[in-house]
Amino acid sequence: MNLRVETTTPRENVAVVALTGEVDVYTSPRLKQEIVDLLNQGLTRIVVDTTKVEYLDSTGLGVLIGGLKRARERDGDLRLICDSPRILRIFEITGLTKIFDIHRSEAEALEALK
Amino acid sequence: MSQPEAIVELSIPSRPEYVGVARLAILGVASRMRFSYDEVEDIRLAVGEACTSVLDRVEGQAEAPPIEIRCLIDPGKLTVEVTDRVSADARAAPDASGGGGPDDVQLGGVLIRILMDEVTADDNGGAGTHTIRMVKYVAR
Repeated sequence: MNLRVETTTPRENVAVVALTGEVDVYTSPRLKQEIVDLLNQGLTRIVVDTTKVEYLDSTGLGVLIGGLKRARERDGDLRLICDSPRILRIFEITGLTKIFDIHRSEAEALEALK
Repeated sequence: MSQPEAIVELSIPSRPEYVGVARLAILGVASRMRFSYDEVEDIRLAVGEACTSVLDRVEGQAEAPPIEIRCLIDPGKLTVEVTDRVSADARAAPDASGGGGPDDVQLGGVLIRILMDEVTADDNGGAGTHTIRMVKYVAR
């Protein structure tokens, strides 16, 4: 019942934030802080990998929406990797699939950010 | 209204780290019933959102009263009541800073209404309580 946040920079100016565990009201401030830190470092093209996310609630969605807004304000972007039907459904029923670019794999997300 | 077959009650501190405890408990309750895997997950998320909505209102309060979760188990349905005693003043002034905020609250409400079959919210001014009552029916 926790969240692990691991960030890699596979390319210059692109950060991949891989999440493992649960993103909820308790853990989402850590994700928010990571995104804010990356943006402050000038890494404005962010990919959040939710492949290993077991639980995502509205607080987590709020952090991702805020991250997307802040990234776009800096001419960047925030994209998602999601292959779990369960997590994908949460984006679908909240209408957020219209706002986020959602990819099936890291390779696909990185290709789209070229 | 007939008596439920069983009642499970839980009281958690109004703190973010305890919402996961409520989710685990509801997972146990719903898993004992004839719900599908997806339905159990729906109930878990809805109850988590209901608890989170209470936290959004008590944010910043040092001694917030606990959140009461009551599960009424029937053969054909599960009713979950999430009750708080947050003062009306705190409810009227949602916090707009940090990770939480009005957008999250709205998303949480949307999720609860989509995931559960029936949702009602009752303000009992006399008792000083606010209850979100959610029902999920077992598919026939």
